[in-house]
Amino acid sequence: MTDGVSLDSLYKTYDGGVTALDGVTAAFPAGSFTAVMGPSGSGKSTLLQCAAGLDRPTGGRVFIDGAELTATDDTAMTKFRRTRVGFVFQDYNLLPSLTVEQNVVLPLRLAGRRADRHRVREVLDRLGLGDRAQDLPERLSGGQRQRVAVARALVTEPAVIFADEPTGALDLRSAREVLTLLRTVVSGHGRTVVMVTHDPVAAAYADSVLFLADGRLAGSLQAPTADAAAERLAHLGDRVGAEA
Amino acid sequence: MIAVALRNLRHRPGGFVATFLSAFLGAALLMAFASLLDTASGVDAAAGHESLTTTATVGGGWCLIIVAFAVTSTLTLAIRQRDQQIALLRSVGATGPQLRRMIVGEAVAVALVASAAAVPVGLVLGRVLVGLLHDTGQVATSVGAAFGPIALGAGFGVTLLGSLVAGVAAARRAAGHGRRKQRPRLRRLGAALFLLTGANCAVLTATLMYGKGIDAMQTAGQAGIWASIGLALLAPELLRLVTAVLSPLVRLFGAPGELALQGPRLSSAVMPVLLFTGIATGTVYMQGIEDRAAAGTTQPGYAQDIQTLNYVVVGLITVFVAIMLVNTLIAATAHRRREFAQQRLAGATRGQVTAMVALEGLLITVTGVLGGLVAALFTVLPFGSARAGRVWPDASPAAFGIVAAIAVMLTATALLRTARRSVRGPATAAVRS
Repeated sequence: MTDGVSLDSLYKTYDGGVTALDGVTAAFPAGSFTAVMGPSGSGKSTLLQCAAGLDRPTGGRVFIDGAELTATDDTAMTKFRRTRVGFVFQDYNLLPSLTVEQNVVLPLRLAGRRADRHRVREVLDRLGLGDRAQDLPERLSGGQRQRVAVARALVTEPAVIFADEPTGALDLRSAREVLTLLRTVVSGHGRTVVMVTHDPVAAAYADSVLFLADGRLAGSLQAPTADAAAERLAHLGDRVGAEA
Repeated sequence: MIAVALRNLRHRPGGFVATFLSAFLGAALLMAFASLLDTASGVDAAAGHESLTTTATVGGGWCLIIVAFAVTSTLTLAIRQRDQQIALLRSVGATGPQLRRMIVGEAVAVALVASAAAVPVGLVLGRVLVGLLHDTGQVATSVGAAFGPIALGAGFGVTLLGSLVAGVAAARRAAGHGRRKQRPRLRRLGAALFLLTGANCAVLTATLMYGKGIDAMQTAGQAGIWASIGLALLAPELLRLVTAVLSPLVRLFGAPGELALQGPRLSSAVMPVLLFTGIATGTVYMQGIEDRAAAGTTQPGYAQDIQTLNYVVVGLITVFVAIMLVNTLIAATAHRRREFAQQRLAGATRGQVTAMVALEGLLITVTGVLGGLVAALFTVLPFGSARAGRVWPDASPAAFGIVAAIAVMLTATALLRTARRSVRGPATAAVRS
């Protein structure tokens, strides 16, 4: 198996009849950095959540690191995610009452594993957070918080890291730092990163871009530049209109 | 801003349920007791005038304290839950005074509606109280229950005034300086004052009231109430202490235990548990000592009044504090939907989140029950010394066991049910809400 994540004709229909995913089949090779782009409402966040085991698709199959996600109840899905998946969200989702270090080791502790303090320190040092380990998240800048979130996602050594608009709340410099960090996660650690974004500049850090429109795949782009990604994104509407 | 306040009430009535319920119950109880004064106004001494006024002032006085406490705490919690909405209003240009008007407007509107809804309930409760006094022969059966200006005045007046004061205080906190910390020094000073008053009453009971029989109840009962309030104000410190002592035990439960120890402290939930345990235990044991001491002796006519009254008050306060406890816990837990969701996104199962909440509940209950026990001793020990000549009561611990069991049951049910509701549905949706 060389795919970090593979999706086999995913469907997702919400109560009330809204179709968010309309038969998406895609593969994200192991050790690759893929951006998923599309206009608002194209289903990109739903795709990420179904692929990451945060939400159950209405139809279709999800494989992460070679294992099929078959769990149906919440607890089993959580346990499946723990060992295979890490997350980075737009609004960080760090627990405000825990220190940086406690936030980072939380996934390990929840899984009942001992936290290797040296390793955690090492990861924090490498992300430039070595001296902030005992601080509460509220004392950090947005960029620092997002780096803590990346450290937390890495701590269980998952095969895949999913990032949902990781730079959506950051200034340009912090965004660049976080994207470079995600890039290192792929090149230095050999992990697979799947990132949903609406920002062509962010997408340009990825190996390839996957475009979504109206819950369906609408093409892809290898070795994207920001301009090329923006161009394609701008014309997604035309294509969908032409097909219909 | 008053218009915004009314729109808020109509749009999200659920957010005001807790405040409404405590104001409604408080108003109903106050009206019931105050209506005894209405009833008493046309009654002469022989028909039980004094029984009626005693019941009204003692029972009503207790209710007054509890109502003020309950309305204030639920209102403060309800407003703290809405810091997002308040931040939003501020960002679109609402000034501090405007926000203040909105919050106070909501509080007064809820209090008005709650008081109005309480009128029929207060009327019925008042009749029940008069009926009780009929049954025990303290009031002539010819005396009919009345419900008049005193009942309405006390019910509406106290509820409105309490809500107004609580609203202004909460609004000052919310609209003022955003995240300014509460003032622990003021709170601790208040706690010290209440505890000193309680200790003073306890000493008076054991010295001045020594050998005065049932009259010692006046000061003994008060001692326990003041001590309960004083200790309730120290809830954050007590909870920290209990948490520190129990932390090795809680840690045995792994990650949920660690989260329970590190999480935000729910000291607001300790207060109702402590008040309930303190007042209920104190009153029940005090009456127990009295019953044993009085067995076989002739008693003043009002001894039976007081006995009825004590049990009625314990019953009412139990119901009232139970509702306040459930309100506080539900409000405090529902507020943590986002926190729970974040824990789940970090890899916690629903079971682990529930286990964490259960452990927090354990810390809250232990703190409240132990604090309440200490507060109850302010009543029980001096009264035992004054009435029966022995400091440690000759009574079985069963009654305390029952009170503690009720406290545990209420806390557990309220906490776990809300926690379970808060972790329903996907975590990704809950994080955004």
